[in-house]
Amino acid sequence: MRALNLHLKILIVLLVSIGVLVTAYQIFVLGIPVTEDETDDLWNIDARVEFQANPREPVKVQMFAPPLNQDYVSLNESFISNNYGVSVNQVDNNRRVTWSARRTSGKQTLYYRLALTKRYTGDLPKPKGPVFRDSIPLEGAEKIAAEALLAPIREHSADVETFIGETIKRVNNLNDDNVKLLTAGNSSTSNRVRIVELLLSFAHVPMERVHTLRLIADQAISPELWIRSFNGEKWLYFNPDTGEPGLPADRLIWWTGDEPLISVDGGKQAKVSFTLNNSELNAIGLAKMTDQNTDVDFLEYTLYGLPLETQQTYQIMIMIPIGVLVILILRNLIGIQTLGTFTPVLIALAFRETQVGFGIILFTLITALGLSLRSYLEHLKLQMLPRLSVVLTFVVVLIAVISLLSHKLGLERGLSVSLFPMVILTMTIERLSITWEERGGGHAFKVALGTIIAASLAHLLMNIPELTYFIFTFPTVLLILVGFMLAMGRYRGYRLTELFRFKAFLKD
Amino acid sequence: MINLWKRWKALEARGIMGINRRNADYVLKYNKRSLYPIVDDKIITKHRAIEAGIHVPELYGIIATEKEIEKLDQIIGEHSDFVIKPAQGAGGDGIMVIADRFEGRYKTVSGKIVTHDELEHHISSILTGLYSLGGHRDRALIEYRVKPDPIFKSISYEGVPDIRIIVLMGYPVMAMLRLPTRQSSGKANLHQGAIGVGVDLATGITLRGTWLNNKIAKHPDTTNPVDGVQLPDWDGFMKLAAGCHELCGLGYIGVDMVLDETKGPLILELNARPGLNIQIANDCGLTLRTHAIEAHLAELKERGIQETPAERVRFSQELFGHVSAAV
Repeated sequence: MRALNLHLKILIVLLVSIGVLVTAYQIFVLGIPVTEDETDDLWNIDARVEFQANPREPVKVQMFAPPLNQDYVSLNESFISNNYGVSVNQVDNNRRVTWSARRTSGKQTLYYRLALTKRYTGDLPKPKGPVFRDSIPLEGAEKIAAEALLAPIREHSADVETFIGETIKRVNNLNDDNVKLLTAGNSSTSNRVRIVELLLSFAHVPMERVHTLRLIADQAISPELWIRSFNGEKWLYFNPDTGEPGLPADRLIWWTGDEPLISVDGGKQAKVSFTLNNSELNAIGLAKMTDQNTDVDFLEYTLYGLPLETQQTYQIMIMIPIGVLVILILRNLIGIQTLGTFTPVLIALAFRETQVGFGIILFTLITALGLSLRSYLEHLKLQMLPRLSVVLTFVVVLIAVISLLSHKLGLERGLSVSLFPMVILTMTIERLSITWEERGGGHAFKVALGTIIAASLAHLLMNIPELTYFIFTFPTVLLILVGFMLAMGRYRGYRLTELFRFKAFLKD
Repeated sequence: MINLWKRWKALEARGIMGINRRNADYVLKYNKRSLYPIVDDKIITKHRAIEAGIHVPELYGIIATEKEIEKLDQIIGEHSDFVIKPAQGAGGDGIMVIADRFEGRYKTVSGKIVTHDELEHHISSILTGLYSLGGHRDRALIEYRVKPDPIFKSISYEGVPDIRIIVLMGYPVMAMLRLPTRQSSGKANLHQGAIGVGVDLATGITLRGTWLNNKIAKHPDTTNPVDGVQLPDWDGFMKLAAGCHELCGLGYIGVDMVLDETKGPLILELNARPGLNIQIANDCGLTLRTHAIEAHLAELKERGIQETPAERVRFSQELFGHVSAAV
């Protein structure tokens, strides 16, 4: 017995740990979302490139495209361009799209379309960047102005981050005479960034321009300039207008560096306009889309690999163990008596077609009528098989009558009794009448009530969409369930009803 | 919640056995599934008992096919009273008790007159499985009618009271006298409203009883106290019960016996899943006793000894006997 117990314990531990590990792997490593509602924004970004091509001249258009190693992951990328050859290449931290054509003329329109979403997982490569730079040489008044500005900045800062923030703030103070001198009347963002760079170079702090796109739907947007600097561990981002650190979550880095977004050889009046829209996507759909662009094809080996129709069947089937678990708990822990083990689960499945409320009424009605017919047949002293045949035929007729009546009354529910519930109904009546014969009417009533309660509870649990999704997506959870069932197999404690059954012992 | 927990602890402290424990630790452990037919089919039980020299109501004959119904007359012979039973019946259904003959017809215990044709029809119904579990074909057996000892008259209402002893590996664990009531319509089945009365294993003196999960001291129909009655030939019952282990091979059984006024203790049937209400009848839990027996068995096994039924009865009586009815 002890060896058996040890065996059982090892088996339970094994099953549960496999279940937990595989599920955890799916959730944390593969990044499969835990609930279906976990939808993510799917962004569609269209960059429309327009320019006037010079006649009889080859055209080469170069535009930056967002690098793929950031917080957003690209699901789909497409280039819509007639007669142009397209290539994408990596330049430093940037990606650059090159459209080229031998001979075009007139107004040209090219599209770059990108679908992306927040990245669930995946380790971003460790960022790298320069931590030192040489000073930009300055002469005369400008040098004095820069030094005058730097002195208080040094005083008010503690590290690279505060230093840059303070520099941006000082430069943005356009009333400062030194700033006025350096900007020379041009107070555009790009000019101010130039001065910030100048000042930072005096302190040997490297700085990089970051061109970002704000992800906001249905608004005309253009790239915004941000500043970033590498502190040896990570990139620090700053808003050049306010000096505030940190890149907001809705910013997508399009490109970095000093070069313009687009450059056209053999054309003029190049213009890029962005339109964005977003849509919500079911988590699994999203995972599937992401899948195409990532090398993890985990979905191949889950139930999502099945054809859609089969999936729907499995979504019902995979919940049956939950129903069985409910019955197990109700019977062995609570002590409710039910008609067999699986009849309540089958009734719960039948409730899918009839709905719970109506199903209970229907089952009660038909079972009651079937049983009263049975007790009438009792008087005729018929043998078991002919008697059951009569009962079953009666049930079929009864269901037909109910369907007809409810249809005439305009209750479409009555038609919901199809083949499956009917088979279960007749089976229930048969089993119930056997129980009636063996244990008496009172017991049969108790069992019928327990069955209805168990079936309703199982039905409710089996139809929680979140639970269905979870178990369908992480089927190894069932192993944990099996572990629990195995443990229940050697449960020796009292059932809840026994605490009441044996209460006579406590009245001393 | 806390109240329930206290109740749980109190029951556990008294060694009350629950269904889960009975199934996991006793029925599943000691009763091999393949041996169930021996106790489920009364004919097999009876044959085994006769082979082992254990007293059972005398078997007049078996009818297994429609053709054999012709032999009914021959089987009944000169007996004026007998019982017709389905071999695999449950809950006492399909049992016909003929008490006398009357002008070429038969008279049941309740005084109803039945013809020979009606008897044949009844047997035919038994054969088609009208009374058997799940409607399987069945056999009918015709046997000696037990006449209950008059000792039970004062505390019993109709029917035949029987004595159930729970036996673990041949060691009697607990005993109960089951008395039919008006509610149970003469059947000695606790679920159907019969009374269970605890019996002291050592002396055979009745203790208080249980009726519908409550403790009682008086019979609800006769209002006579049920305790303090000395059952005759108690040691006979105990030996009979203890011997049933060898008879069927099942380790945890309920042995149902009757006391016939002339033949003494007889075995009626065996039950592989004996109920738990015997605990209420005896106001005592089963678990402490079964654990004591299991410990004793382990000790015997170590020493390589096997005890005879008489020794086993003595062991049980010494350990579990001489309880006085709680007042």
